[in-house]
Amino acid sequence: MTDSNRAGSRLTRRQMVVRASAGAAALALPGALSACGGSDKTTPVSTDEWRQFAGTTLNFISENTAPTSAIAANVKPFTDLTGIEVKFSQLELSALVQKVALDFASGIGAYDVVYADPYQVLAPYKSAMAELNAFNADPNLPKIQDLDDFIPTQLDAAGRFVDREKLYALPYDAPTLIWMYRKDIFEKHRGRMQDDLGFDPMPGDDSTWEQFYEISNWIRTNASDDVPYGSGHQAKQHDSLMNDFSNVLWAYGGDYFANGQDVGRYGSEDPGEPLLDRPESIEGAEMYRKLVSIAHPASKGWDWTGLAEAFMAGQVAMGAEWHEFAAGIEASKIAGKVGYARLPRGPERSANMYGGTGIGINGVAPERQQKAAWLFVNWATSPDTQLSNLKSEVGGGTPTRESIYRLPEVQQARKPPSAMPNVLTTDAVFEAWKPENIGLRPKIAAWNECDTVIFTELSKMLAGSQTAEQCMRNAKDGFEGAIDRAAALRRQ
Amino acid sequence: MAVTTRKAPAAAARHRRPLLRRGLSFEGKMLSPALLVLAAVSIFPFIYIIAMSLSSVRMIGGISFDWVGLDNWTRLFGDGAVWGSWLRSIMFFVLSVGLQMSLGIGIALAIYETRRGRNIITSLVLMPMFMAPVIVGLLGRFLTDSTYGLYAWFLDTIGLYNGDILGSRTSAFLAVTLMDVWEWTPLIALIVLAGLTSMPKQVLEAAAIDGASYWSRLRDIVLPMISGVIIVALLIRSMDAIRYFDIITNTTNGGPADATKIVPIRLYETAFRFFDLGYAAAIGLSMLAVTILMANLFMRILKQRGLAR
Repeated sequence: MTDSNRAGSRLTRRQMVVRASAGAAALALPGALSACGGSDKTTPVSTDEWRQFAGTTLNFISENTAPTSAIAANVKPFTDLTGIEVKFSQLELSALVQKVALDFASGIGAYDVVYADPYQVLAPYKSAMAELNAFNADPNLPKIQDLDDFIPTQLDAAGRFVDREKLYALPYDAPTLIWMYRKDIFEKHRGRMQDDLGFDPMPGDDSTWEQFYEISNWIRTNASDDVPYGSGHQAKQHDSLMNDFSNVLWAYGGDYFANGQDVGRYGSEDPGEPLLDRPESIEGAEMYRKLVSIAHPASKGWDWTGLAEAFMAGQVAMGAEWHEFAAGIEASKIAGKVGYARLPRGPERSANMYGGTGIGINGVAPERQQKAAWLFVNWATSPDTQLSNLKSEVGGGTPTRESIYRLPEVQQARKPPSAMPNVLTTDAVFEAWKPENIGLRPKIAAWNECDTVIFTELSKMLAGSQTAEQCMRNAKDGFEGAIDRAAALRRQ
Repeated sequence: MAVTTRKAPAAAARHRRPLLRRGLSFEGKMLSPALLVLAAVSIFPFIYIIAMSLSSVRMIGGISFDWVGLDNWTRLFGDGAVWGSWLRSIMFFVLSVGLQMSLGIGIALAIYETRRGRNIITSLVLMPMFMAPVIVGLLGRFLTDSTYGLYAWFLDTIGLYNGDILGSRTSAFLAVTLMDVWEWTPLIALIVLAGLTSMPKQVLEAAAIDGASYWSRLRDIVLPMISGVIIVALLIRSMDAIRYFDIITNTTNGGPADATKIVPIRLYETAFRFFDLGYAAAIGLSMLAVTILMANLFMRILKQRGLAR
């Protein structure tokens, strides 16, 4: 035995303390997880499993979302547990998609952990993502803390593509479009609105998009001293426009493809003929045009951030907005004055666009990096971390595990004033996440181009360049071209 | 004369000798390292992009090309959306470069005539061009925002415009054009000012003594004397205007209703949103061809005026 080996076998006092702390943290993790609602299916965690990649540095590329801000601010427990450093790159989604695609193409594997947007990353680049069941089955690696705890629709929508057994990402966030409205203004004018409009304006299960339109128009006409416009939309020529519109499309019985919920939940290699020129789809487009026509005129220049800023600035009384914005709204000057509800229904149903994403592992990265990334993916989606994100002052996570919402402290936070403002939306999002209410856009390889087609054609419709019918027919043609090109590329 | 006729064939024969046998001249040797670097960074990518334009490019598992012949080019010439983008690019080009040249020359002439505080005024005028275009885009977005934008508020207050500036087609197109004009007019002013200060003052003084008015001097002496400088400024800005990108990306992203989707935005979208790299290469090469044609046109004008060799 050499001196160095001997030195290696003897622990210094400092090393002793560090290893003991790490061991304690690792052993405490399952306890903490079960304490916060994880079921008794949690797997014992040994120190060795979590420390085997100590000294590794991981690169995590993510959209600049609240959960990642929260994790970036509180990554120390992970580093203490594993000895792994994590570097965060937070980007706007389109920039993220571009960097990830180029990384996959280059084969470098610069980003070990990838924020795998199901539609823009997972569907087109599934083959470059690592399949997670292999890591979960590896006896040398810690297992997922109760896979069944993830909300099932979200596990499928964010984590799978076509093959229902394979898993490419774990649900990481779950922003969903819900109805946000100024409770104070609604309550102040409730009686008058009821008299004038003939229905109770307070959002409920039976609220419809027609009523939404009438409320918006009434506020604009009768309550402009309180707020200049009744409603706002995220109708910029941007991904946000597709999201905002799709709620109305589905509510009116329209859809992008036949069997749309399955195409959204599991994805499809061959989604079939687009249905955008069907009468229901055209009716949905016409309704959307009508809604935007009386909304704040700046709606056509707003994406989700623009709408949230206008809402917080008191420019509009209501709109469809991602529920994770509640954290910012409850810290603004309208804190405590906002109500949250499931989106209105149309003739067919209520549809609430789900915008959740999973995090996955770059299959191009070296094996050791992939295994280290597995530890991070596992830790970042664990109940303990999700609860921590929810409480974070810099973030405001949107937990993807059912157990989190059952915790007593989370239940308590459902009423204002709340230390976890995103939890104020719990009633609304749980309604929105019901299979009959969730809105899932098509998970197909050509989605990036189809998305651009639909929001560009809608933008032309809103600008008055074309009718709703022309818009939907042109969008259908655009979808067909994009799908054909993607299929041709796949055949090569 | 006889000597000349004897020597000429010998000189011609020397020039006809192959370059390799003659060896590189001193100037050639001095230039060769730079030319080699230029070849590596320009010629190879150029050939690569031509190959891309004739292929369907796959990205997963490393870049791979599948030969598709002229498919991408056929699609390009039949793509109404791309032609629409070219039309908008031309409109933007004419409006933006036209305004920049008019305002830039006007500002340069005003500064040239200014006697007091000239340095301070010049510094203030030049400030916009020191800003990164992406910052100009963000600034423009904030100033035109209908909720808190200063310009939006001002236009609304004076009753000129009360809609959303970046939300309707005409106003959005004008807004992104004016943002570019605001940033780059100072460059034209600076170049023209340099031309003005290099003019021989005696000529202008002589014309003034002879009773020529300011407008006569401007039309008959100043503008002809600085025309070469103006054409160089025009060339620089024209080539930049064809590639205009940053400000639109940060403000309208091509919308609303494609009103600001000029060719570079469509190229970016095709390449980095749809990852249709073969088609994007064809669009990019068409942009390059237009830029080269434009540069040749300006160089020809300069040559005709004896201002370039």
